[in-house]
Amino acid sequence: MIKIQTVCGFGCGSSLFLKMKLQEVLKANNLDAEIFCGDIGTCTSAPCDVIFTSEELGDRVKDRATVPVIVINNFVNKQEVTEKTLAFFETLK
Amino acid sequence: MESMLSKDHVRTHIHASDWADAIRQAGNILVDAGSIQPAYIDSMIESVKNLGPYIVIMPQFALAHASPCEAVKKSDISLITLEKPVDFGSTNDPVFVILCLACTDSSSHLEHLSKIASLLMEEGRINEIIKAKDENEIVRLFQANYSC
Repeated sequence: MIKIQTVCGFGCGSSLFLKMKLQEVLKANNLDAEIFCGDIGTCTSAPCDVIFTSEELGDRVKDRATVPVIVINNFVNKQEVTEKTLAFFETLK
Repeated sequence: MESMLSKDHVRTHIHASDWADAIRQAGNILVDAGSIQPAYIDSMIESVKNLGPYIVIMPQFALAHASPCEAVKKSDISLITLEKPVDFGSTNDPVFVILCLACTDSSSHLEHLSKIASLLMEEGRINEIIKAKDENEIVRLFQANYSC
């Protein structure tokens, strides 16, 4: 099972919004993954296959992350979230 | 039917001088309610200064919050709409709606926040909130969809 981590400043606010949008997108595309929320401070030590986060936090995470980091600019833009999620799943094939 | 937001936790057409003032005014609702101490408001503002305007997670909307801490007495949520929008320096500017979130820990509020999040992320929802004439209208927006 693919493990996706959504990351925000404290792991309990916007990362939850992003997690919910991802769940919606995965379901609509018949994809399965475990999604959990993380915070900017500890996210790179939490085991996962990919990190989703916002534009402003993306660079900070990328500096330290060993897994792909996917930046979402607009959490409600289903097209953006869908395209970027599907592109990630393509890389797994 | 119970609403996810109580009327005394909502204010509409607030005049804010800038993004920090907007966060402060949204946070003051929770100070008045006894849910947070003023130090939590400072933490929310500091977090934007330190981490950038990532809390503007979608067009016109900011989710102001800080990490659970002693300044939070009770998990709670407030919402304000602005008469004139403020800029955070985000690609999703200008911001008209601020949701202020305070939680005593990072897990107990999740169910409640999930319901609010899914409602807020419905297409066109933020515009309905911006256009709401008064607090009652916003409370109703968070009520009508509660059971869905």
